[in-house]
Amino acid sequence: MTFDDLVTVLPEIVVTATACLVLVADAVVGRAAARLWLPLLTVAGLVAAIFAGPITLPSHTAFGGFVVVDTFTAFFRVLFVVLAMFATVVAPDYLARRAIPAGEFYATILFSTVGAMTIALAADLITVFIGLELMTIPVYVLAGMARRDRYSNEAGLKYFLLGAFSSAMLLYGFAWLYGLSGTTTFSGIAEAIAAGGLTNGATLVALALVTVGLAFKAAVVPFHQWTPDAYDGAPTPATAFMSVAPKAAAFAAILRVMMVALGPLGLDWSAVFAILAAVTMTGGNVVALAQPNVKRMLAYSSIAHTGYILAGVAAYQAGASASAAVLFYVFAYGIMNLGAFACLIYLDLDGTRGATLDELNGFASRQPVGALAFAVFLVSLTGIPPTIGFVAKVFILQPVLDAGLTWLAVAIALNAALAAFYYLRVVVHMYMHEVDANAPRLLRTDLLSAGLGVAGLAVVVIGIVPDGIYRWALQAAAPFVR
Amino acid sequence: MDHVLTLLIVIPIAGIVPLVLFFRDARAVKQVAVVTTFIELVVSLVALAQFHVGEAGFQLLESAAWLPSFGIRYELGVDGISILLIPMTTLLTFISVLYSSGGAIKERVGEFMAAFLLLEVGMVGVFMALDLFLFYVFFELMLVPMYLIIGIWGGPRRVYATLKFVLFTLAGSLLMLVGIIAVYLTSGDAGNRTLSLPELLGRSGRFSPDFQFWVFLAFALAFAIKMPMIPFHTWLPDAHVEAPTAGSIVLAGVLLKAGGYGFLRFAVPLFPIGTQAWLPILILLSVVAILYGAVVSVVQKDLKKLVAYSSVAHMGFVTLGIFVLNQQGGVGAVLQMLNHGFVTGALFLFVGIQYEKTHRRQIADLGGLANGWPLYTAFFGVFVLASLGLPGLNGFVGEFLVLLGTFKFNPATGPGGLFWGPAAAIGVILAAVYLLWMFQRVMFGTLREAYRALPDLSPLEVVCAVPLLVLTVLLGVFPQPAIAIIEPSVQRVLAIATEASAVVLK
Repeated sequence: MTFDDLVTVLPEIVVTATACLVLVADAVVGRAAARLWLPLLTVAGLVAAIFAGPITLPSHTAFGGFVVVDTFTAFFRVLFVVLAMFATVVAPDYLARRAIPAGEFYATILFSTVGAMTIALAADLITVFIGLELMTIPVYVLAGMARRDRYSNEAGLKYFLLGAFSSAMLLYGFAWLYGLSGTTTFSGIAEAIAAGGLTNGATLVALALVTVGLAFKAAVVPFHQWTPDAYDGAPTPATAFMSVAPKAAAFAAILRVMMVALGPLGLDWSAVFAILAAVTMTGGNVVALAQPNVKRMLAYSSIAHTGYILAGVAAYQAGASASAAVLFYVFAYGIMNLGAFACLIYLDLDGTRGATLDELNGFASRQPVGALAFAVFLVSLTGIPPTIGFVAKVFILQPVLDAGLTWLAVAIALNAALAAFYYLRVVVHMYMHEVDANAPRLLRTDLLSAGLGVAGLAVVVIGIVPDGIYRWALQAAAPFVR
Repeated sequence: MDHVLTLLIVIPIAGIVPLVLFFRDARAVKQVAVVTTFIELVVSLVALAQFHVGEAGFQLLESAAWLPSFGIRYELGVDGISILLIPMTTLLTFISVLYSSGGAIKERVGEFMAAFLLLEVGMVGVFMALDLFLFYVFFELMLVPMYLIIGIWGGPRRVYATLKFVLFTLAGSLLMLVGIIAVYLTSGDAGNRTLSLPELLGRSGRFSPDFQFWVFLAFALAFAIKMPMIPFHTWLPDAHVEAPTAGSIVLAGVLLKAGGYGFLRFAVPLFPIGTQAWLPILILLSVVAILYGAVVSVVQKDLKKLVAYSSVAHMGFVTLGIFVLNQQGGVGAVLQMLNHGFVTGALFLFVGIQYEKTHRRQIADLGGLANGWPLYTAFFGVFVLASLGLPGLNGFVGEFLVLLGTFKFNPATGPGGLFWGPAAAIGVILAAVYLLWMFQRVMFGTLREAYRALPDLSPLEVVCAVPLLVLTVLLGVFPQPAIAIIEPSVQRVLAIATEASAVVLK
């Protein structure tokens, strides 16, 4: 390990240091001061992390080939930092109201972010695995952070058990890959597999185990069962973060492992991925239709979005445009889904429970800014222009059709129409129903409104002029183009 | 005035800014909205004045890179098919906003006007966009504001109606999106792909017959739902019955036209072989729409529903005119779109005015209104006569040309114009039946005691109705200027369609 190696991972070091600093500060400063200073410190650290790493550079490896920093890494670093920042901004008032320890909350988010960033750095199976664990273990904690709430406990426990199970499966798959190729580096594995092909039964086992392990992490149907309970039971700001950053990281891992290490088998796994994508989007949407609880509905909707993203992965034959579409979608999904969950923070309910549709009645007249932002996020999740969600769908459809998967493109279109029903139903309750007598109290939080306002504006502005971000995603996908 | 088309998109957006600033002040909000839509109307007339009559191609072109990495452009332009639809849109929007500001909308006025201005962006954009992607964006942009307009300010079953409207429309348009991307991928090799219509028309040799068959279907579904054609029309009566008056005016007047316009602008010239393949079914559905819409209108008990179903029948004439693929039919279809916009817009306005006063829409509850409202009766009577196609009023011209085109329709196989023409003509007779019978039951007879004290048209309502009346008479007596504008472009579209099909089949 040289000094240069450390410079390479400076952003990760900055975030780690910030996390430690937050924990120390939490112990030192008083409760009143903490409420202001801890989120500020967290955001400052995250901003510093962005500036600590270059946005574009020629790709280079460090730590003896364990780590690679390229345009892909840069893209995900920024994305994870933005998501962590967004999650930090929306949380403070909620945490204070529920007496959830704020310092631990921010520090946990930061540690998880470091894990996610590590995945984006990975050039080696071991780095991927370390990153995944470093990302998910804090998230188990986040899910169970409302200690006295049994749903939160259930969420934490379920997530932990199934997460551990899937990690074991993934690790077992990695072990098979190592056994096959004698190396853990992506490039080494790719070479070994290119020589042997799928003729070897062991390759098939490894492929299956790795696919299932990663599918668990990304919440692909039928490996999604932990998602609704974990998302529903976790404290809402934690849910907002959980639903986006780990998923984005899972797709970073999928791209790195599948496209690079298992790239030579692309034709074999892409067919499976196409079917998984169709099953995932349909499954998520159909179940979401029947949810009266908005938080749970959004949990199922996030499964459906996994399906759309997976369709982009399945279309890998289309080349750079497929990977770029995945990156853009992950970016768009991150903002709009985090935003949508965060809108539920306004409702001051008991425990960690999410609002039902009826509890949102007349929300527009009680909290105009929050309702407008929520509506924008929902329209964007539906995929109606001029929003980021619409262009993201277009970018996904293009490589899917280009790869000849017309049936999958039609499935995406029909699914989007199906999803419109439950997304717009929320708008119906917010805008078209009168306020009930038993409407829940609303949390007073200007910080949340400000954060959502900025995010909502970003969703529309990027929806109108997406070219910059798309080109950045295209650059970030360059490492996968052979 | 340069960039007049972009101006048409910018003005309503710019109007939203002061609207937000004065959000709480209902009076100021109304003034801002009325002024904005009026300026928009004037600018659209400027665009019309700048249009060179007799030229077939696209004019007032504007083009700028929008999504360079995809070769997608911000491309606007108008030709004879679209140039008249734009002032129609801005006029109907202005009238809707003016009428709504008179007291028809009492709650959340700020949101209503903002939604209407946003809707106007989508509506004018649809008729100007020459890039398929841009067209799709505008096409969808109309959806959310209309969803809110019906869902927030609508009648008792508004939520059901608005969700149905959105889901139907969205299902169709998302499939069209897949079709658009398929067109994009087929339009050229990587790096050279485009969605610009003028470009695509030159490359239609790349669209194989099989490709055209499926992609035309994807486009046709979206447009057929929007029109709506039978059997996709079931959202329309619900949406109209529940929509507030202003919503109904633009829904019938403008939004439905987006479907017919889409057929003529994109589907027919880009996929002539696909058009030919689906032609028999589309003609059949058109004639069924004319007859079915008319028959169902006869038995309607609800006044607004009657007008809604009559729209189905009138839109049947539009699709029939388009798909007989000759000049008379095409010109008639465009004229019919225009006339239907003015006349049905006016009918919905008058049904709305009547409802505001009596709070009744069931025909059986009304009657004798002519005794109390002479002015209302005169206006409403003219629009009813125009709607049933009385010669001398505008409705006649479009339907006559469409029927003329239909009689000339002579396909290689299957029933020709001599079968479809008379069948469609029966629809005209039925229109007279349901409209006159409705007029008789609503306006004549004894006036109910409860309605005796109700006032006739207010000055504001007269102001709203007069432009429509003038145009109805003018386009009926003197349609030639409009035909002169429309004809060359329709001819061009038909020529492109024949040429392109020859290229592919060769």
